[in-house]
Amino acid sequence: MTRYLLRRLAQAAFVVAGVVVLTFVVMRLVPGDPAVTYAGPRASAAELARTRAELGLDDTLPVQLWDYLSSLVQGDWGISLHTRQDVLGDISTAFPASLELVGTGVIIAVLVGIPLGVLAARFRGRPADGSIRITSMAGVSVPVFLLALFAQNVFATKLGWLPVAGEYDPSLDGTSPLHLYTNITAVDALITGNWPILGSTLAHLALPAAAIAAYPTGVVAQMTRAALIEESTQNHARLERALGFTRWQVLTRFSLRPALSPVLALLALVFAFSLVNAFLVEAIFNWPGLGRYAADSIRSSDAPAIAGVTIAIAFTYVVVNLLVDLAQAAIDPRVRIR
Amino acid sequence: MSWRIRSLALAAAVAVTVTGCSGGAVRKAASTSSTFVYSFNLNVVTDWDPATSYSNEIIAMQNVYESLTRYDTKSKKVEPRLATKWASSDGGKKWTFTLRDGVKFHTGTALTSSAAKAAIERTMKMKGGAAYIWDPVKSIETPDPQTLVFELKYAAPLDLVSSSGYASYIYDTKAPGGGDLKDYVAKGHDTGTGPYTVASWNKGQEAEVRLSQVKDYWDGWKGSHYTSVEFRNTPQVTTAWQQLQAGDVTYVHRLNPQLFAQAKGMKDLKTDSVPSFQNLMAFFNTEAGPLKDVKLRKAVQAAIDYNGLVSTLKGSGTAASGVVPTGLTGATPGLAGRQDTAQATRLLNEAGYGPGKKSLTLDLTYAQGDDDQQKFVTLLSSALKSLNVKLQAKPMQWDAQWDRAKSKDASKRQDVFVMYWYPDYPDAYSWFLNLFRSADPVNFNLTYLDDSAVDGEIDKLPELTATNRSAAEASYASLQRKLLVDQAVAAPLFVQQYQRAYSADVDGYTDDPAYPNVVFAHELTPAA
Repeated sequence: MTRYLLRRLAQAAFVVAGVVVLTFVVMRLVPGDPAVTYAGPRASAAELARTRAELGLDDTLPVQLWDYLSSLVQGDWGISLHTRQDVLGDISTAFPASLELVGTGVIIAVLVGIPLGVLAARFRGRPADGSIRITSMAGVSVPVFLLALFAQNVFATKLGWLPVAGEYDPSLDGTSPLHLYTNITAVDALITGNWPILGSTLAHLALPAAAIAAYPTGVVAQMTRAALIEESTQNHARLERALGFTRWQVLTRFSLRPALSPVLALLALVFAFSLVNAFLVEAIFNWPGLGRYAADSIRSSDAPAIAGVTIAIAFTYVVVNLLVDLAQAAIDPRVRIR
Repeated sequence: MSWRIRSLALAAAVAVTVTGCSGGAVRKAASTSSTFVYSFNLNVVTDWDPATSYSNEIIAMQNVYESLTRYDTKSKKVEPRLATKWASSDGGKKWTFTLRDGVKFHTGTALTSSAAKAAIERTMKMKGGAAYIWDPVKSIETPDPQTLVFELKYAAPLDLVSSSGYASYIYDTKAPGGGDLKDYVAKGHDTGTGPYTVASWNKGQEAEVRLSQVKDYWDGWKGSHYTSVEFRNTPQVTTAWQQLQAGDVTYVHRLNPQLFAQAKGMKDLKTDSVPSFQNLMAFFNTEAGPLKDVKLRKAVQAAIDYNGLVSTLKGSGTAASGVVPTGLTGATPGLAGRQDTAQATRLLNEAGYGPGKKSLTLDLTYAQGDDDQQKFVTLLSSALKSLNVKLQAKPMQWDAQWDRAKSKDASKRQDVFVMYWYPDYPDAYSWFLNLFRSADPVNFNLTYLDDSAVDGEIDKLPELTATNRSAAEASYASLQRKLLVDQAVAAPLFVQQYQRAYSADVDGYTDDPAYPNVVFAHELTPAA
C-alpha cells in the first residue's frame, strides 16, 4: 500500500507542476499589461513603470517563471491585481465556502444517489425503476444555472420558504458571533455550538447545495444501478440466490460493495465538475466562494488570481482523485496491485 | 497503524490545509438596529488608505472620512463640510479656509489646521490615486489652529479640488498607539471625522464592510438616523433585486433597465434616476490611418445614430451635448450629435469613398463585456455598412485595448477608440487635460491630437474657473465647438444614467453624481 501511495503521490505532483507551468505561460501570453490592471486605468506613465518593476514584469519570461515557481513553493502565490491582497490568503478565505457547498452537494449525491440506484436495480424494469431513471436523467441534463435560478425564484422569492442568497444571516454576527477555525461556517458553527448560525447557514445552504447535488445525484444513481445490475449477473450472485438469499440480500450484502468501486471513481470526476458548476451557483446565490472570486478575477484580468484559482482547483482535483483511489483500494484490494 | 487509518489521517490533513485553519478569529458585527444595507456588485475595498484610495471604497469612505468642502451638483455650488468658509485672493493663487469648531477625528484627536495640513501633505507625498489634484499647491500655512492658507503655483479652483471624491480626505495622520498609518488602515481601521467608523471588514465575505455610528459626530444624531451601514457584495443584479424585494437589502445601486422598470411600479420600493458625470465617447485617430482626413471623421460622426443608441439604452443613458455633462461648469447646450446619412454620404464621396465609390475599412476597439458599448458598435456597424464602410470592431480587455492604443508604431493603433470618462473632482477640466491635450508619451489622448492652439486654451481653463466662471463657460463652449464641430476629433455618445432602487422606508435620499454611487447615510431618515 505504501508503494501504491508513493506512486500516486508522485503522479499527482507531476500533474500539479504541469498545471502550474501551463497556467503561467498562458497568463503571460494573454495580451495586455498586468501593470495597468494593478495600478488602475488612470495611472500615470511613471506609476505604471514603478508597478511593472514592482511586479517583476520587466524581467525575461524564464526569470519570471522561475520567480513564480520558487515563490509558489514558499507559499507566496503573488498579489491579486484586483484585491491587492495575497492570492493565497484570498483563496484560503474563499475556498472553504466552496468546499462547504460542493461537499454538501456531493454528500447529498451519495446519500440520495446510492439508495436510488439500489432501488432502481432491485425493481429493474418496473415503474419505480423508470421514475428513478427519468429523474436522474433530468438531474444530469438540466443545466445547473437553470435549476439554481428556478429554485431561487420558486422556493425563496415566490414561496419565501428559504433565504434568497448569502451564506447566513449577517445580523446574527451581532447576537451570536462565530469563532472561525476551519473557515467553513457550518463546521465552525457546529463545533462551537453556535446553533443560530448553524441553523441559518443550513437554511442558506439548502437551495444552492440542492442545485449542485442534482448532477452528481443523477450520475451516482445511474452508475450504482448499472454496476449492481452487472454484479447481479455474476456467478457469485447466482450462487447466493441458490443458497437461499433474497434478491434484496444479494444486492445489499454481496453486490453493493464491489459495485461501489466504480461509483467512487466517478465521484472524483463528479466532484471536479461540481466545483466548476459551483461557480455558477455561487454567483446566483451570492455564496462567497471561489467561484465569485474567480469571476471577479476574470472580469478584472487579474492574472495572479486566475492562476491561483486554477492551481487551487487542479490541486483539489488531484487530491480528491488521490483520496478516491485510496478509498477504492480500501474497498477493492485488487486496485493496489494494478 | 493500518493503511486505512493513515489514509484517513492524510485526508484530514489535506482538509485542514485546504480550508486554511484560521485559529479562532471572530467575525465582527455591527449593531443590527437601524442598519442601512447597501448592495454593491463588486468588492467594496481595494485600498483603505485615504491618501491613495481610488476605487469602489469611495462608497464606504465618504461616510467615514470628510473633506474641507463638498460639491452640490443640484445647486452647482461648493458647500461647507470641515471648512465653514473659504475665500480666494491674488487672482485665485491664494486660498484661505476656516475650519469648523469642535470636530474630532475618530482617534480622539481634535481637528486643527496643523492636522489638516499634515493629511493633505501626506496625500501629496504618497503620489497615489488622485493625489495629483493637489498639484497646484505650492505651500500650506497654518496661521492659527482654525485657518489653513494655501499658496498655489498657478490659479486653480481649490474649493472644487477640496470637494473631490478622492484624495481630498482630511484624516489623522497618526495611527493610535503609534505605528505606520498605512498598516493601521490596511487592517480595516480608520482615522476619519465622518458620522460612521469602520466596525468590521470581512474581506471576501458577502457582508464585506460594516460601519457603526460615531456618537460624538460634529453634526450630531438628533432625530431618526441609520446607526449602522452595511455594504454587501452581490455581483448578480438579479440576486440583488430579489434581496431588495425580500427586504434583505435597503439599496441597490444599479439595476438593468428591465428590472428598473419593474421597480418603478412597486409600492414597497422607491426609485431614482439621475444623469451621472460619466460619458461614453468615441475617439478618432487624427494621427494615422484613414481618419486622419477630417472629412472622414465628420462622416463617421454623421453616421452615428445617437437617438437610436439612447433609445436602446432604455433609460440607462441620456443624450450627450458635447463633452461636458450637465451640472458642471462648461456644459454646453446645442452640441448634441445628430445622425445625418446624406451628409455622411456626401463627405465620404468627397474623400473618394462611400456608396458607389471605394470601400473603406475602419478598425474600432471597445471594452469586452460592456453591453452599452456593444449596442453602440452594433448600431454604428450597421449604419456604416449601408455607406460602403466596413467596421472591424474588436472587443478587448481594458489593458490590452489601452496597450494597443499606445503602441509606439502609430499605424498599429486603432481608428476609433471607445471609452468612458468621468472627472475625479467636479470640474470639466479633467476631460480636456487628459483627453485632448497633446501628450508625449500618449496617455489618455486617444485622438492623438497635437494642436498647440488647443493646448494653450486648455491650459487657461483652471485659472478662468478660479477667477471668472462665465469666461470659463465661454472658453469651454468654444473649445468644444473647435474639437467636436471643426476638427471632429471625437463623438460624445451618451451620458450614463444612474438608476437606483431602494426601500420605500428610506426618506431623504438624493443622488449627487459628483460622488459616484455614494449614499451619505447620515442624511437619510429610516422609517420609525
